[in-house]
Amino acid sequence: MKNATLLRLAWHQSIAATRLPIWRALLLALTVAIAIATALAVLGERLERSLGRQTADLLGADMILHSSRPLNDELEARARTQGLRTTQALQFPTMIEAGEQLQLVSLRAVQSPYPLRGAIVTQPQKAGVPQPGNLWVEPAVLERMNLQPGDQMQLGYAAFTISAVIQSSPDRGIGFGSLSPQVIINRQDLENTGLLGPGARVSYRQLFAGDDAALSQMETELRAQLATGERITTLNAEQNFSGGALNNAARYLRLGALLTLLISALTIALSLRRYTLGSQNRAAVLLSLGMTAGHLQTLFLLQLLFGWIFCALLGTGIALGLEQLTLSLLSGLLPQPVPAAPIALYGLGALLGLMILLTLGLPPLIAMSKISVMQLFRRYSPPDTLSGRLLQLLAIGLLILLLMLYLDDLLLTLILIASLLVTAWLLGRVGAYLLRRSAYWLAAKHTLVRLLRLRLQQQQRWHRLQIPVISLLLALMAISLWARSDLMNRWQSQLPTSTPNHFVINIQQHEHQAVANLLKDNGLQSALYPMVRGRITGLNGQSLDEALNPEQRKHNSLNRELNLTWGSAIPAHNRLVSGQWRNGENGENIISVEQKFALELDLDIGDRLRFSIGSHVLEGTIGSIRAVQWESFQPNFYVIFTPGALEQMPVSYITSFYASGEQRKVSRDLIRQFPTLTLIDIEQMLNQARDLIGRLSDTSGLIMALTLFAGLILVFTTLSQELEQRRYENALLHTLGATPKQCSQLDLLEFGLLGMICGGLAAALAEIALWFIHQKLVLIEPVLHPLNWFLLPLAAAALFTLIGLLARRKVDEHNSYRLLRELR
Amino acid sequence: MNSPASDVILSAHDVAKSFTTQAGSLQLFTDINLQIRQGESVAIIGPSGAGKSTLLSLLAGLDLASAGRIEIAGQATDQLNEQERARLRSNHISFVFQTFHLLPELSARENVLLPLEIRGASDATAKADSWLQQVGLGARLHHHPSELSGGEQQRVAIARAFASEPDLLFADEPTGNLDEHTGEAIIDKLFLLNAEQNTTLVLITHDNQLAQRCDRCLRLHNGELVELQELDV
Repeated sequence: MKNATLLRLAWHQSIAATRLPIWRALLLALTVAIAIATALAVLGERLERSLGRQTADLLGADMILHSSRPLNDELEARARTQGLRTTQALQFPTMIEAGEQLQLVSLRAVQSPYPLRGAIVTQPQKAGVPQPGNLWVEPAVLERMNLQPGDQMQLGYAAFTISAVIQSSPDRGIGFGSLSPQVIINRQDLENTGLLGPGARVSYRQLFAGDDAALSQMETELRAQLATGERITTLNAEQNFSGGALNNAARYLRLGALLTLLISALTIALSLRRYTLGSQNRAAVLLSLGMTAGHLQTLFLLQLLFGWIFCALLGTGIALGLEQLTLSLLSGLLPQPVPAAPIALYGLGALLGLMILLTLGLPPLIAMSKISVMQLFRRYSPPDTLSGRLLQLLAIGLLILLLMLYLDDLLLTLILIASLLVTAWLLGRVGAYLLRRSAYWLAAKHTLVRLLRLRLQQQQRWHRLQIPVISLLLALMAISLWARSDLMNRWQSQLPTSTPNHFVINIQQHEHQAVANLLKDNGLQSALYPMVRGRITGLNGQSLDEALNPEQRKHNSLNRELNLTWGSAIPAHNRLVSGQWRNGENGENIISVEQKFALELDLDIGDRLRFSIGSHVLEGTIGSIRAVQWESFQPNFYVIFTPGALEQMPVSYITSFYASGEQRKVSRDLIRQFPTLTLIDIEQMLNQARDLIGRLSDTSGLIMALTLFAGLILVFTTLSQELEQRRYENALLHTLGATPKQCSQLDLLEFGLLGMICGGLAAALAEIALWFIHQKLVLIEPVLHPLNWFLLPLAAAALFTLIGLLARRKVDEHNSYRLLRELR
Repeated sequence: MNSPASDVILSAHDVAKSFTTQAGSLQLFTDINLQIRQGESVAIIGPSGAGKSTLLSLLAGLDLASAGRIEIAGQATDQLNEQERARLRSNHISFVFQTFHLLPELSARENVLLPLEIRGASDATAKADSWLQQVGLGARLHHHPSELSGGEQQRVAIARAFASEPDLLFADEPTGNLDEHTGEAIIDKLFLLNAEQNTTLVLITHDNQLAQRCDRCLRLHNGELVELQELDV
């Protein structure tokens, strides 16, 4: 037989097969697997290159020293003598003003040369750093404030002209602040803005670039004298980006993608088996016409290859689309430009698809060639062969290898697979049991249900597969939806409406009274708290190293400057839990400390804490312990002094207030009249956080949609497996006098019950997972989701019915007799 | 059933077939002996379940006997490997099935071409067209099975069977899926072509009238194959 003939025959066979639902299911599952594997590999690599392994172009330097305090000029001189290039950048959150509008931004003040590596790309193209009096903004600022290049903006006391839009910039900083839209100004202008008061939350950065030896020497020197609140970022450092949310989202995406791959592989195996069984007759005809078994296998292999080519093109195309869509969803969150992935990665999904197809497609082909032509004609199910089993093992091995590549961890991969299998097994058992029980219970009520019990028995093994797949997928979708909205609701609704939505810090001593008056004139209730920055350095006459154990010394409050305040009475929103609020006597300073802080550091009434404030050192004796509601959005303090002790120190004031409607214009008045204070609009901040979470969950929504789609194809495939059994059964019922309606009812009853049980199991799973997430991860009060228990069963029943109707061909009284003859 | 060995095209010696079932081993038949000469037409009749189709599959080399020996054109099928049996089928044997077994995605011409292409015959298209002409489907070359009636499909199957110029043609209930009138027309065509081509025809049927048109008639019953001298129509 000529190769061309085989090719032509295979082509015809491929085209003809596309009319078969089971072959379509196979192609769809393969396409989804290829798309998801490619998208995951490419996106994973690009995100990792962008976030995990910083390149010099993204870092803007070879090494950066971060500090919460101004950096010493001596450092710069030392770097220069060592032959390094160096420069400084400052970054902090502030409100920017244009006309009537205020916007929370992350302000970066830079000086030439900047950056030391890579470049800021702007539109129109600008070199170096902004000219004094000019600022560069990210597109988000212009969009939100409806501005254009050339417009004026106000930062503190200084006015600026927008001279360029930032397309991409290295050195975006770290932490949540780096996720706000950014504005870059010249360092020379910073003084004029007056924004750098004692209360400003500034991150200072010293950037270095140069040859490796000098850098490494500098790094060693810096590390030796690294103070608290300082850290060094180098090119080699893992995870420079503190994007916890992004990492969690990436993990979630991977889980979704892994599930999709596993489900797709199962679908491919099942649909190949079904297709091969369905092709036995064709194989028998070809063999009876004199075709050799070798040629027959080649013919089917060629058909698999044609299918693969189609799926590889389509799947890779979808992956490219997903890649672009995801990157555009995450565009504001990633350092731009996102590094490209190696071209070879784009072929990974297609290669994986081919290997899955061959390793899963060959076993039924081999098995088919082991039985006689007559047995093929009689649709005898061929037994599994050793080589077939080995190939299936190879397929499983390949999948595990792939999962390991994605997860970088063998143990985690195995645990994940094992727990998935155990959960699926359990769900299958529990679901099948519930199905049996409910049919038993219903049987007393309706004749048709007795037939249903027979049906359930026949379909049991498929139900045990369908139930876990659909329950798991629905649960995952419910979890991702609820986890997001629970968090949002918590932020929005659980705070009383009068919870302050504006924070004002950095109010100077001389502005104190005027700010208080302005707020009062606008009918706003707020208390201004004096604030002094200081560090705790000793306890009961000992240094912290001597007085505390290593675990206690890691406490967050000891490794940074604390905001200290004083007052003659306990703040209204605090509660005294022990001791008394009293003023100092005989020159003794009395302090009140927060309850949890006291507990963790093992502090009690009468203990003495030593503080360093600038060049001053003073001690305070704990007179009382207070409970503080941190979520109240009121200024809260670990330590409150009695009046008198801190009044000689450099002080600024802090307040918060709730303004709504007309009152909101007070923020504009505040900025106008007191340009140097820092006003934080909490609503804008929450909106930015909401936007971040929204984008991340939209991204995971994309993957989840694909996962659900993969699951539906699997259900379709499993329903098709016993389709002939169903058709035969229905045809038999017809000839025994059942109406088409009754037969449909039997199917609907089965799908409805299946749906209810899957939905119920999914709701239970989601509830457990959400409880865990609330309790352990996001630390909010767990809530029940009654809507789940109603919607998920409905959704699952609808899905089963829809797919069931798609899978079964209409059986009516006209063709039932023919069916009975054909099928038996 | 004795005949000169020289022109024997198909012979069976002590052939047995058994199956393993859940209830144990099932002996369908034992000690089947048979010789068919080139150009003969032989009908095998018998009640349902007697094993007629199984016997045909053994005689045609589609399955292997549990015991005994079958020779087709002088070659013992149990001595051949799978590939050699495929070549034997390709060179000597054709089938006409009750359910036609045409490949649905191929046109009438392509279905007839298939066995010719499998054996690598030259001038295949011309041969296929000519055979379709002979069965009266010259105008339907490019129609697919779904566009043809049952009778027309069976005629395509007959054209396909004769196209490869077989020595042996096996027909398993060729009219079983057709109405009486169409069935008769098909059988007439089958016998006509068989006579013209000097093909050996082995026919399985329930229809005694049809069996009577054959040179010989054998009945398979209770595991025994008996040659009938006269058939009670």
